[in-house]
Amino acid sequence: MRRRIWADPRLGLLVVIVVLVAVFTALRPAFLDVDLTIVPIQSDLTVFVVVGLAQLAVLSLGHMNLAVGRMAAVSAFAAGWAYDKLAVPLVVGLLIGLAVGALVGAAAGWTIAATGVNSFVVTLALDFALIGLVSLLYSTFSDGVAFHVAPAGMDILRGDTFADYCAGDLCGPPIPLVVPIALVAALAVGVFFRNSRLGREILMTGSNLQAARLSGIPTSRRIIQAHTLSGLLAALAGFLLAVTNGAFSADIGGSFLLPSFLGPVLGGTLLAGGAVSVLGTVFGAALTEVIQTGLNLLQFEVEKFKIYIGIVLLVALSLDRLRQVLAERRKQEVPRVPEPVEQKEGVA
Amino acid sequence: MTVTAEKLVKKFPGVRALDEATLRLAPGSVHALLGENGAGKSTLIKIMTGVLRPDGGRIVLADGGEAHFGGPHDAQRAGIGVVHQERNLIPAFSVAENIALPAVPQRFGFVDRAAARALAKRCLAQLKVQLDVDRPVSTLSVAQTQLVEIAKALAVDSQVLLLDEPTASLTSDEADRLFTVMRELRDQGHAIVLVSHKLDEVFAIADTVTVLRDGRSVAEAQPLADLDHDEIVNLMVGRAHAVLELARTPVDRTATPALELDGIGTADGHEDVSLAVRPGEIVGLYGLVGAGRSELARAVLGLDKITAGTVRIRGEQARIRDVGEALRRYRIGYVTENRKEEGVFLTQPISRNIAVTVWRRLARAGLVRERDENSLVATYRERLGMRLSGPAQLAGELSGGNQQKVSLAKWLAADCDILVIDEPTVGIDVRTKAAFHELIVGLAADGLAILLISSDLPEMVTLADRVLVMRDHRLVGEVDNDHDYDRTSQEVGRLLHQAR
Amino acid sequence: MTTPSLKISFRGTEFTLTVLAVLAFVVLALTTHGSVLHGDTLTAIFQFLAVPMVIGLAQMAVLGVGQMNLSVGVVTGFCAMVTAWLMVDVGLPAWLALLAGLATGAAIGLVNGLIVVLTRINGFIVTLATMTIIDGLRYGVHGTATYQGYSPGLVRLGQGSVLGVPTVFLFAVLVAIAVAVFFRHVTVGRQLLASGGNPLAARLSGVSNDRSLVLAHLLSGLLAGVAGVIVVALSGSVNATIGDDLLLPSFAAPIIGGVALAGGVISVVGTCLAALIVRLVDVAQAQYSINPDWVDLIVGAVVLGAVLITQLRGRAAT
Repeated sequence: MRRRIWADPRLGLLVVIVVLVAVFTALRPAFLDVDLTIVPIQSDLTVFVVVGLAQLAVLSLGHMNLAVGRMAAVSAFAAGWAYDKLAVPLVVGLLIGLAVGALVGAAAGWTIAATGVNSFVVTLALDFALIGLVSLLYSTFSDGVAFHVAPAGMDILRGDTFADYCAGDLCGPPIPLVVPIALVAALAVGVFFRNSRLGREILMTGSNLQAARLSGIPTSRRIIQAHTLSGLLAALAGFLLAVTNGAFSADIGGSFLLPSFLGPVLGGTLLAGGAVSVLGTVFGAALTEVIQTGLNLLQFEVEKFKIYIGIVLLVALSLDRLRQVLAERRKQEVPRVPEPVEQKEGVA
Repeated sequence: MTVTAEKLVKKFPGVRALDEATLRLAPGSVHALLGENGAGKSTLIKIMTGVLRPDGGRIVLADGGEAHFGGPHDAQRAGIGVVHQERNLIPAFSVAENIALPAVPQRFGFVDRAAARALAKRCLAQLKVQLDVDRPVSTLSVAQTQLVEIAKALAVDSQVLLLDEPTASLTSDEADRLFTVMRELRDQGHAIVLVSHKLDEVFAIADTVTVLRDGRSVAEAQPLADLDHDEIVNLMVGRAHAVLELARTPVDRTATPALELDGIGTADGHEDVSLAVRPGEIVGLYGLVGAGRSELARAVLGLDKITAGTVRIRGEQARIRDVGEALRRYRIGYVTENRKEEGVFLTQPISRNIAVTVWRRLARAGLVRERDENSLVATYRERLGMRLSGPAQLAGELSGGNQQKVSLAKWLAADCDILVIDEPTVGIDVRTKAAFHELIVGLAADGLAILLISSDLPEMVTLADRVLVMRDHRLVGEVDNDHDYDRTSQEVGRLLHQAR
Repeated sequence: MTTPSLKISFRGTEFTLTVLAVLAFVVLALTTHGSVLHGDTLTAIFQFLAVPMVIGLAQMAVLGVGQMNLSVGVVTGFCAMVTAWLMVDVGLPAWLALLAGLATGAAIGLVNGLIVVLTRINGFIVTLATMTIIDGLRYGVHGTATYQGYSPGLVRLGQGSVLGVPTVFLFAVLVAIAVAVFFRHVTVGRQLLASGGNPLAARLSGVSNDRSLVLAHLLSGLLAGVAGVIVVALSGSVNATIGDDLLLPSFAAPIIGGVALAGGVISVVGTCLAALIVRLVDVAQAQYSINPDWVDLIVGAVVLGAVLITQLRGRAAT
């Protein structure tokens, strides 16, 4: 069955984004100012898209990762430590960070798969533990709360856009150099869940654990792998934020939790598992970023934009729900059989 | 008459689950409700207890009024209590509170515990059961929870008490105690409905019997004294069943069995199960619900522990640890009975539902191309006659029969030549059912070895070459099927219901 | 049948926690040469136990129906700000402002519950959204500025003590008793737990699961409001950052206290004892001048350990 295009929630998101950009531009023409908004928006967006992807990686299973921010923090510590003490090149530090993130994610996944404890609790407890660990690590190994390091290339990655590189008269677009990293990550995660056997088997596991097991999918392994991916992406997000901030500090990841859910959930990824939307996550993160920047320009107080984001989240989800109910009602040729089956509430 | 259900009709998409079934209940009697699986017993019970609404017919209550149940609570208020097969108690609550839950005694919004305990004690005393009413239900045995459920039904003054397979998980001692309780209640003037597959216990306790077949009541409140064992079996299985004649290829009985079990025992309780399925053969495994048929299949697939005996696949001893190994190394597929819960991924496209077992083969450098999946769908769409709008359609949007085909197709796609097919046509309408039967016969003709688990006797007679009968986790006999329904069904029924 | 063992282990959580708390206290007293037994320290321990206790109960109320409430922390902060605003800027008498603060919490809880029931959206996401909204609203009351100097009588009451016991702690204990009575003896409270324990059975017994969900969220909001007014009375000054660090402790107390995430099983005593133990970890940190970061690390490990033990115990029982 071909899904009708207008019924795609992602199209709705795109329309809202375009309308909001138009409104903000009309109110404050500075909204389209390259240095003031366009470039910073892209840098922020880069981080939040990757954070959203980190959450999406486990939402695919119907799980959650509440430790997404702290996984980023631990990995950022590892990378910062490597730059500071071992003076490794930029790429090596990044790889070390990614490895640490993946390892922490794998540990979370293993705990969930082996004990059957709810992912919410496991990652919540892990978050608690890592908050303490990260601060301890920084106070033990750094001269305070951060590594102020600048391996070769980091400043360029932070400050430059493609517009800074010209071949004769032809300069690149004003896109920060970090953006392609997020793009590659999004593309890779998209292909992973869309085309790769592993990703598809993870989705099947999330869609119906029993059926997956009976179809010969090693479900425990897939659960661990999804959480590993989540940790890996959280680490990447942490690294990108550290690059943007210019320091590997203990507070990296502190504000990741909310955006990590906002992107995927606004983009139409359900908490139930079995389906993910990478493009939706990008749009969801973009919408959040546009609202934030716009309200900022309109000189709303910093905290106030949260009210609007929360309302947007509720309205978007309620509309989506309404759409589903209407679609079901239209499809119903037989009267619904009121089986005594309760809708499962809470998190699985 | 306490309650009469007259000419109830209930239609589900494609099936008439109830077709003018009538159930007459009299106070002070134990009434047995019998019928093979799928005859409409559960539907009838659901209507009587307000869970489903009938499409036709009516329920007349003791006072002559017609009942219109909007929900379970209405039926309770009308004095119809039910003890379901599933446990319907709150684990953390005490016995007293569970019994009092439908009508909590309260004072100013506070639970009147003394009254609740008194009520519980009264109900339990009525059953002549000794039980500490303050114990949490989570600490009770299965038999005890069942008694608590009966007490709970009494607490709302149920004149009619429906017991759905109450002895399914009880030991024979516990069952005897339950029967004493039932007689007690009968003597107090309640109308008791016993739904059971076990004919011995029906004869032991019931006064009258209603038999359902294909949604019709073929015996209506007949005194049980007038009937004997064989007559009941005949009523249940029916005589005039048209058995579909399907051309069968003769099986080479000298060939090495594709699947052979030798003295298998399992953690689930199977003992000394031996059977062999040869290529091209359909071996039926018949038995009551709970006899351990599906559990045997699960043990063979490595989902449950095998504790004794050997499994041989194509003549070689095999040790199967999980489904993945069964699938890839031994090419055994299992079409589950729980289609919606375990068979298909309702929220996923058909292409993925079918290709899930072969992604390993389809993948190039770890990536699967949709084109390959779609051609797979096209192959099986034609071979199995699936009706679908396209490979991207979600499995949840398909009819039951087509979902079942999807569930089957994934094993065929994986080149399985040993198939365990569990209750393939439950909840599938008659026409699709016939097509499905042809399909299974066709698979056998292609040389697949098929172990067919079914509780549908006509289906068994239509499809199986041999029927093995399982009772209480043991094989109790084998019937060579000559596709003569009367002879085979009576033979199977005899094995199934013979005295222990 | 494992009748006795299960019964013991069921009460066991509370027993273990009591032993643990007493032990921790004794060890603290001995190793600090009795300094935690000094009046001031003792008062501080219990004064600052009030909020974690109540906030743990607020989370427990929704866990009872198998839901979660991510907004408890920010609701606490918001209610505190509203109460202070009503006293300082509007000029309401303290008692009226306190009632209004409680009503605010209850109203937010009611809205949470209604959204969950009406839209059937997962409670986690609903409260994530309302958390975000209220987080913003919290700053809308008075920006980042601080309210202080309101009702000296209230603050005196909040910081005072009765017979040596801090009033706020006494109040929290009363609230805990009220919550315990609600879940133990009040009909709707029992029905709420019935819905959480077995929704199908509850429905077949005529219990409205929707009503239970709304009620649980309402109660959760109300208790967050209670925590808010305790903060107002205790601290003498409030600003919009209140509640930021309450979300994780709100889960820690009930989870360590033996409350099932799946719903249907609660433990008021366990939750309060767990809050006390977490508080003692805090005290130990201050007494030994350990790096405060150890607290989170230990609490995290304890939460995970508590859950794993419960899980293993559940497996052994079946």
